[in-house]
Formats: sequence, structure tokens, C-alpha cells
Amino acid sequence: MLLTTASTSFSNVDHGLIAAPAICLPDPLSKSAVGELAAFGGPAIFATPVSTSNLVRPSIERFLAYSRVFHEAHRYTNDGQLVRELEQRLAELHHTRHAVAMANGFWALVLTIKCLALPGRSEVVMPSLTYRRLADVVAWAGLKPCFSEVDSSTLAIGAKEAAACIGNDTALLLAVHPIVNCCDAPGLEALAADSAIPLMFDSVESVYETVDGGRKIGGFGLAECFSLHASKLVNGFEGGYVTTNDDQLAARLRKLRGFGFQGQDNVEELGINAKLNEIHGAMALAGLDDLPDQVRRNRDRYRIYQRELDGLDGIRLLTFDESERTSFKTIVVEVTDDWPISRADTIKLLNEEGILSRAYYSPPLHSKKMAYPSVPARLPLTDVLSERYMLMPCGHLVDEADIVAIVGMLRFIGRHATAIQRRLKS
Amino acid sequence: MQATATRSNARSPLAARVAPLPVGQLYFPSWDKYEATFRELFDRQYYTNHGPLVQRLEARLAEQLAVRHVVCVTNATIGLLMAIEALQLRGKVIVPSFTFIATAQALSWTGVEPVFCDVDPISHQLDPVAVERLIDAEVSAILAVNLWGDACDAEALQAIADRHGISLFFDSAHAMGCSMDGRPIGGSGKLEVFSFHATKVFSSAEGGCITTNDDRLAARLRNIRSSYGAGAAVEVNRTSNGRMSEAQAAIGLLNLDELPQTLQRNRAIFLLYRAALRGIPGITLHEPKRVNASNHQYIVCQLDPPAFGADRDELLDYLHARRIIARRYFHPGIHRSTPYVDQLPQFVDALPVTDHLNQTLIQLPSGALVGDADVALIGGLIAELQRTKSGD
Repeated sequence: MLLTTASTSFSNVDHGLIAAPAICLPDPLSKSAVGELAAFGGPAIFATPVSTSNLVRPSIERFLAYSRVFHEAHRYTNDGQLVRELEQRLAELHHTRHAVAMANGFWALVLTIKCLALPGRSEVVMPSLTYRRLADVVAWAGLKPCFSEVDSSTLAIGAKEAAACIGNDTALLLAVHPIVNCCDAPGLEALAADSAIPLMFDSVESVYETVDGGRKIGGFGLAECFSLHASKLVNGFEGGYVTTNDDQLAARLRKLRGFGFQGQDNVEELGINAKLNEIHGAMALAGLDDLPDQVRRNRDRYRIYQRELDGLDGIRLLTFDESERTSFKTIVVEVTDDWPISRADTIKLLNEEGILSRAYYSPPLHSKKMAYPSVPARLPLTDVLSERYMLMPCGHLVDEADIVAIVGMLRFIGRHATAIQRRLKS
Repeated sequence: MQATATRSNARSPLAARVAPLPVGQLYFPSWDKYEATFRELFDRQYYTNHGPLVQRLEARLAEQLAVRHVVCVTNATIGLLMAIEALQLRGKVIVPSFTFIATAQALSWTGVEPVFCDVDPISHQLDPVAVERLIDAEVSAILAVNLWGDACDAEALQAIADRHGISLFFDSAHAMGCSMDGRPIGGSGKLEVFSFHATKVFSSAEGGCITTNDDRLAARLRNIRSSYGAGAAVEVNRTSNGRMSEAQAAIGLLNLDELPQTLQRNRAIFLLYRAALRGIPGITLHEPKRVNASNHQYIVCQLDPPAFGADRDELLDYLHARRIIARRYFHPGIHRSTPYVDQLPQFVDALPVTDHLNQTLIQLPSGALVGDADVALIGGLIAELQRTKSGD
């Protein structure tokens, strides 16, 4: 971090009213010439890299207070008291009848897909412009990815794109919320109803959001899957959960995560171990306690990005829909045609400086080599979009001075693009 | 000890016991150590993705288990899935039915069909002679299980695997801290999978690890687990998330420090049971046969119902009613459980030794929550039931 006073300056940043920083920030680019860029041998601006992971640290005292519960009960896993409390709190957060905790988001998705896919059919309709392991998730469920285009206004699968993929062998619609704002969940629900194909969501990036005038994410489709990985909104070290209003589905997921046991010595179906342990449960509970505050901190960071990126030609900040509830968690920018240098080179230059920006998402899944069956797809829009966006550093470890330095670096790259490109070529 | 465990003696400590006494080990760091280690973790702000604690745990385990690679995982079942995926097994794999159901489930998740093999009636371990009889062109591997803190005959199984050109790997969920001829279990076959579940002798709440001396296999396992920069990227068919968090590793490291004392305590409990059960007709404490040091993770007793005067389930109910939560691993047997009872009907009546063990074995409480008096109490209760029943 460049400045340790940033957390105090954050609290002074008011909604929509960003003044110039009260303190004099150091020139982030003590670099006066292109030759001083880290890519060309100069020192990196960030000795400790800044990443796009959320890495929220909840209160240690809250974490320890929760931990006391399992420690005194000598119960460390297997549907313990903290996991049950967490499930209740998550169900309240999402306004659903059930939340079922899992060891991580990956296996939460696999188990949910297995429960919901229509028997005897093999294709799962899903976007290609998404999380890099999502096709592997579908393969572990024993099914075949059928990749769809995305809607360029949301960067997510919508009803039109999903409908184009539905065929006789479609077993499931796996919609994925994008990183900023949400996909057209009501439209997808209507499609699922019309086509009689089950619909579920990968909602890892939309924990806190509402759509359609305040409807909370969590209750759409037959189920929605979330992650409690440290990089996500709620940090449970590792972990995941599924929300649903379907009592039978919730009971079945609980059974499957515990080897398929229904009572002692009675296995009812092929299960797995996808249990969340109590320590991870304690962490996630402490994270939920901090959530409203975290969202305020995220919003402050987002406001600083808004202020700093204002007027930088070629880099467009994706804006959160503030007419709905949103977590302001992740910062995504579009690298537009006005930006003088490729996204790949921009990311390379930033990474060398310790600014761990990431492509959003590249390569798209349909263009990757797969060792398992998938439906061949030509997705020209996805190909184009996969070259345009990048994630910028954010989260708990990024402060105001960092953001000023990051955007300053972008500005420097933009200003010296010709010289940089010449240097990159040589 | 039995003589003193009269009805009234047996009742007084029992009345004092509020919580039921389970079979699981449940050794866990003291509160002070837990708090100190998590304060450090919060200061470090490194939560998962092959962090410093996971790396330290892997290095320490590699040293203790004398293997080149240890890959820590979120739990042993997902570890087994990853292992089968990394071994790229196809067709069928020979496995005992006399094991926890997850052993077979891991095969099913990877599209491999289990071939259930019977076990030795004395050691309860996989029977190499029976294994060799089951090998045909479709069998690609043997998944052996090291059971109860004892070991199967790895040498004989390796010879069979070599003779038929198939892989051998181990479910060593029960085997942490055991050694054969002074050598720790962990370096046999292509790989071994250990469990660090809270009920095991060495716990990270949930967790486990895969041990191997094969560099290529280790690289594949790290990629299948998702390791974020640990080792080179190699091609695998499917990745997954099998990561162990820094929190799990923190618990593991603390428990590893105390493993020698844990093993010592388990040994003491085992010897107390041996004394408490000696002389009761119809019940025999199972003794490790092949290892030179056992972790005594399970207190396993074999019941001879005619001599004891009651069958196993009667004893189980009797103990449960007194808050002694004894278990009947692995009743009713994987080959008689869903989905295998329907999918593989050829095995339902093909495993007489496994069936016999499933009907006559009982596991008694051991581990962190068991005091010396508890063992005496349990011995007394068993003796009392035997006396009552044989007097009927």
C-alpha cells in the first residue's frame, strides 16, 4: 500500500460528492520516462502487488466469538451449529427458504447441476464468456457444455441467447451473473417456464444485488449458487452455498454433500463430501456481520475510480446500477477503440508494475481445448467482447492512494503509447 | 476392573456425563493456541490459494511421511476423486467393499466401475489372493485400503499389480501416524490419500492430503486441485476446486505438533480397553497385525453372539441408550448400499467375510473426549450386558 491513512480518508468520501484528496498524494509515477516502466527494467510501483481479489478481513474478535461456539462443543464439522446459523443468515440475506452450505462454490455448482438437469438429456446451456472452470464444473456433473452468446449490454447470457441454444437434448439452463450488475433473470425465468427447461444461476458475483425493482438475487430459477472464497464478497476462507425455495431440493443437496447419508448407516444416493467446516462457518458469519460496512467501503473505492477515470479517453468504467442494491465490489473497465494500445499489452505493463489487472474473460471457454465433449460453437460477439474488458485491483487491501497510482499508471501508458509500443516491438 | 464396574459404579460417572461419547478422535488445539494462530493469520491476511501455512504443512508432512510430494486437499473424498482423475483410470478398479462408502463413491464420480473384493477375516484388510482372481482385461487399477490404523499387504498387492501391468494406489484415510518396519505409511503404490477429518487421528477439521513420489502425478494433482502458481501448469482433463484453506492448514500444523502425544494417548486408551475387555466371553478386541506402530484410531471389537449372549445390534442399542455412541462400521456394506446394490447385483452375495464383519464388528469411543474412567465404564457396561444375557 502506498498510504496507510487511506481508511480514514475513505470514510470522508461522501456518496456522489468526491472532493479532491485532502492530502497530497505522492506522484505515483516517480517515472518520468518510458524506460523507467517495470516492463523495461524500472522498479515496479507496487512492491507488494495489488490484486482484484476482495480479501475482506472481518473483525478478528467476531471471528473468535463465533469460534468459541464450536470449540466448546467439540464439533468441528458435519452440520455443526455455526454452519446451521450461517445457512439461516444467508437465507435471510437472499430472502429464500433455504441456503445450503458447501465446501466450496465449485462442488456447490456440480451438485446443483446434477440435481436439476433433466434425466436422459446431456446439454447444459451456459455462456462462454465466464469463469474459466465453469465448463469443467459441467463435465464433473457428467454433462456437456453448450456455449451461448452474451448480451453485449450486460455481458451475460440473456433469454434471447439462451433460447438460441435450446434443443432436444437440453437438460438445463445455467445462467451466470456478470461481475458488474446482473443478467436478465426475469427474462430467463420466463424462457425457462415457456420451454420447460430447468433454470439455475451461478450467482457468485451477485451476492448482494437486487434486480427488477428490488428482488433479491438468490430466489431466481430453481436454485442459485454462491462462493465463500476469500476473493468473494463474503470471505469464508473457502466455501460455497446454494439458495433455493424448493424444500426437496434443499434436503437432497444436504444429503449429497454428506455422502448421500440419510440417518446413520443409510446411504440413499451417490454423494460426496462437500461439507463446510465450522471454522469456515465462523469466518463467513463474521463476514456477514461486516457486510453493510464493507459495501460502504466498496462504494467509496468505486467513487474514487469514478473520479480518477473521469476524462481518461479509451478506458470506460462499467457503472453499477444504483437504482438497485449493489455491492460495488469489483471494478471492471472497457478498453475502447480510443485506447491506443492493446488490452493484452496494457495488462502486461500493469502486471509488471505490481498492478494485477486481469482480462475479463479470456480466453472464452468455447475457444479452449477440452478433453471432454462439448457442443461446438461459433460465437463472434463473445470473441470480440473477450478482448475488450479488464478487472482492476479492488478489495480490502486497496486504498485511495493505490487507486490514484493505478489510474495514474494507465494515464501514463495512454500518454506514452507510441514510445511504449515502439519499445515493446523492439 | 470389570469386577469393580458394578451397576452402581457404572452409573455414577455416566450420570455425570452430559454429552454423548462419540467414536471420532476429535483432537483439537487448545483455545489459547487456536486464538494465537488465528490472530497471526488475520494479520497476515492470506486466507487460501496455496498459502504459506499450506506450503509449510505440505513440507512438514512430506518429511514426516518420507515422500517427495504432499498435496493438501479440502477433504479426502475430493482427494480420492482428484487422484483417480490424475491417474486417468478407465474401466474397472478393484476395491474392498469393507471400507467407508466414499472410497467407492470417488470411483463412481470419475466414471470408473468398482469391482468389490472380499477381505481377510483376521486382519480385515484386502485379500491379495481374492484381488488377483478378480483381474480381467477391463481392470485398470487396485484401490487398496489401509484400515483401522493397520495396513494391507502392500508388497503382495504391488507384485500383483506389476504382474498384470495395472496401477496400485491406496486409501489411507485411517493410516496417519502408522508405520511398517519403522517406515511411515504414505510412500506405497502410485499414491496414497489420507483424511484429516475431525474424527481422524490427525485433523484439520475437514481436510486430507495425497502423497506420491511421482513428480508428474504431483504436477497433475496440483493442477486438478487448482493451486494458483504452485508448480508448472500441466495438461489435465478436468480441473476442480480441492484446495485446503489457510485455516485448515493452521489447525493441521498445530495438531501435527501434538501428534506424538496424540498417538501416545490413543495407545494408552487401546491398552485400557484391552484390560477392560479381557475375560469377557464372546468379545475380542481387534489388534493391529501388520504395522509395527498403529495410530489406534479405532477401537474395533469382534462379537461372537452365541458366546456373548447378545448380537452386535443389541450391544449397540444398549450402549447408545447409555450415551455411548458406538458404531457399526461399515454396516450394511457398500455392496448392499445405494446405488451399488442395484447397479452391481453380482456382488450382493459374493462377499461372505465382508458381510460377516459388517454384522459382528462394533467400534467403541476413543480419542480426545475419552477419559480413563470412560473406558472402565464402557468395559463394565459390556461385561454387565454379557452377564445379564448369559444368565437369561
